[in-house]
Amino acid sequence: MPRLLEETLAALQRVTDAALAHLTLDELLNELLVRMTEILGSDTAAFLLLDEARDELVARAAKGIEEEVEAGVRIPVGAGFAGRVAARRQALAIADIDAFDIYNPILREKGIRSLLGVPLLIEGRVTGVLHVGTLTPREFTPEDADLLQLAADRAALAIEHAEAYEAERAAHRHAEETAHRLQAVQRVTDAGLAYLPLDALLKELLERIAEIVHSDTAAFLLLDDNGRELVARAAKGIEEEVEAGVRIPVGRGFAGRIAAERRAIFIPDVDHADILNPILREKGIRSLLGVPLLIEGRVTGVLHVGSLTHREFTEGDRNLLQLAADRAALAIDHARLFHQRRVVEMLQETLVPERLPEIPGLRLVARYRPASVRGGIGGDWYDAFQLPGGSIALVIGDVMGHGIAAAALMAQMRTALRAYALDKHSPAGVAERMNRLMMSLADSQMTTLVYAVLDLDRDCLSVVSAGHLPPLVRPPDGEARFLPTYGDPPLGVSRNTLYREQTFTLEPGSTVILVTDGAVEVRGEALDRGLERLRALAVAQTDPEALTTAVAAGEIGQDPPEDDVAILVAEVAPLPDRLSTVWPARAETLGGMRPVLRRWLGKWGAAPDEIYDITVAVQEASANAVEHAYAPGAATFDVEASHEDGLITVVVSDRGHWRAPRGTHRGRGLIMMRALMQDVDVQQSEGGTTVVLRRRLEGTAAS
Amino acid sequence: MNPLATVRIEWHEDVPVARVMGEIDASNVVEVGDSLRGLVTNQSRCLVVDLSDTQYLDSAGINLLFAIGEELRSRQVGLRLVVVPTSPIARMLSITSLDRAFPTHGTLPDALDG
Repeated sequence: MPRLLEETLAALQRVTDAALAHLTLDELLNELLVRMTEILGSDTAAFLLLDEARDELVARAAKGIEEEVEAGVRIPVGAGFAGRVAARRQALAIADIDAFDIYNPILREKGIRSLLGVPLLIEGRVTGVLHVGTLTPREFTPEDADLLQLAADRAALAIEHAEAYEAERAAHRHAEETAHRLQAVQRVTDAGLAYLPLDALLKELLERIAEIVHSDTAAFLLLDDNGRELVARAAKGIEEEVEAGVRIPVGRGFAGRIAAERRAIFIPDVDHADILNPILREKGIRSLLGVPLLIEGRVTGVLHVGSLTHREFTEGDRNLLQLAADRAALAIDHARLFHQRRVVEMLQETLVPERLPEIPGLRLVARYRPASVRGGIGGDWYDAFQLPGGSIALVIGDVMGHGIAAAALMAQMRTALRAYALDKHSPAGVAERMNRLMMSLADSQMTTLVYAVLDLDRDCLSVVSAGHLPPLVRPPDGEARFLPTYGDPPLGVSRNTLYREQTFTLEPGSTVILVTDGAVEVRGEALDRGLERLRALAVAQTDPEALTTAVAAGEIGQDPPEDDVAILVAEVAPLPDRLSTVWPARAETLGGMRPVLRRWLGKWGAAPDEIYDITVAVQEASANAVEHAYAPGAATFDVEASHEDGLITVVVSDRGHWRAPRGTHRGRGLIMMRALMQDVDVQQSEGGTTVVLRRRLEGTAAS
Repeated sequence: MNPLATVRIEWHEDVPVARVMGEIDASNVVEVGDSLRGLVTNQSRCLVVDLSDTQYLDSAGINLLFAIGEELRSRQVGLRLVVVPTSPIARMLSITSLDRAFPTHGTLPDALDG
């Protein structure tokens, strides 16, 4: 069937029509089939595209033999008609299909007699086959073949474009989806979460994570303080896990291995996996994906998601979950640290003495500064209090470790020390009891401690050190030196440790400085150098307040301090000429007052008997003030002592009311006062009672 | 036991001797009194309170000793005191006449012989 040139050109025009470019691939293929059947006058036409993976041709579009597409006909490359066209990569015409091995029965069933097929080629690569058929026998000409090839080329181009476009669209969709998921991940840690308490934060994070990865369950397990077990802290879909307080040893089971190996683990089928936690199976979870929570490479927990149906979690899911976990880890860490900080701060606030005891002739300054680094709040503490006999207990300690556990143990240690010290055990006795307590309280925990008892009467310091930095003593106008304490081990090392105390003479005017290692330590440096800096600073800075501030600020250690810093400074200051003191109206304060009076009287050259007598007299007046302290405002009383030319005058004034002493022992205190002092004047008024006691010291003559 | 003072008990045949070590004031006088009273049985002939190692004693302690002495006297039990004659404590006893109300000796053997 010869064709006119213009017909051919028109046909060409129809196959290469630019308008075709706007059609989708399927529309284009169908349109080409329609046009080809028209141009070539064929009854059927079909596109088969190559499935490269399986090396098969798949019917994609058909005209006249639509069943081919519907049936999803697949023809192996090399087999049958289309398969041979593809294999030979050139046109093939069959005048009579009865003389040919047709692979596809539909062609015969439809009554096709003759066929012409051409390959779809892109850069020499076969991507499919286009064929036309007639229900009547026909000899296809080379021109028919050329025209069909033209259509096939056009289709191939369109298919390539469409595939590229599809790929692009898919990539775009993927990108959009990724962006969406990333946004969702972003939401895992949006600003609104910053203020949630930890439990609420975990719950919210799980909701969001389950939504992002489309999982049925999700759970957070956080590493406990000793780092040995994971504890279920929050769960979605498997809430029982948290209620049951599930604990998984690190290294064991699904979550335990994730934590130990610090990598994601995917379990396609729970039935065939080493799962420690029965709740996961009981809840019907089929597939699990878990990732570690990492903070600066350190595992803090595990996040896992589960599916109730079998699911292949993809590499993408894994990356997404890890991304979410990374952000969650930061948020959790932040929340936990914040929470921890508040708890520890509360603990510290409760435990750091509300105020240091005010003892005439003793200046006490102390500071505690929590560590500035993550999870760093530790177990340092200091304490200072007056013992029943009037001596001063000076304490500095460091429960090793950080966080709430350390702070809580510190609280117990501090309380225990006070209890043992107030029971008047010797410093070594206190240390031994603390050690035994420590051994029973905490497994593998250690505490370093210096407990020093300052006896102002005898100008000495009794010290026991349990693995702690030695006390630094700066005498007035002298070189500061560390006391050569015994190097006994820290508390909690061995039940059999014997602690030894030593007593050092303390020159009046000396300053005792106790610090924790955080004050002097610089990472990577020998401790001696830090201690030397402390010594030098103590020599240069004689003001206890300024010294304390400088040390707490990290001036001689790490700046800012990485570890806790505690410092306690006790300056045995000379007593003032005029003693002006206020005492709580409790019998217990009498014992603490005696050393002060003795020291002050000694300062004026009073003889031992005189010191004793005057002290008793002042105590008698004070005891009365204590006894009558029931009036409003009578919670304290004042003792003022002055000296003038050998004459001691002590004024004890309270805001209570003396009652006439009753019983057989009436007035014995007053009798003693009168006997012990040269002049006793009791002035009673509405506002209270004032007792003025006077006595001239023997050895000193009035000038 | 209040830590200000410790009461150490010794028995010399059937005579209880209480050595008060430390300081007695209003804050611990009740506890010291309890330990002293606990030493006396119906068979006791006397109680010796040894103040040789007492560092501080004021009217609270003096009143206690007077009270215990009176209680014992009503039970036909004698109270004997030991105090170092030149010590401040002896002066307190003297000021309050406690040393005249109850037999007071310079040493423990004297008190036991007494």
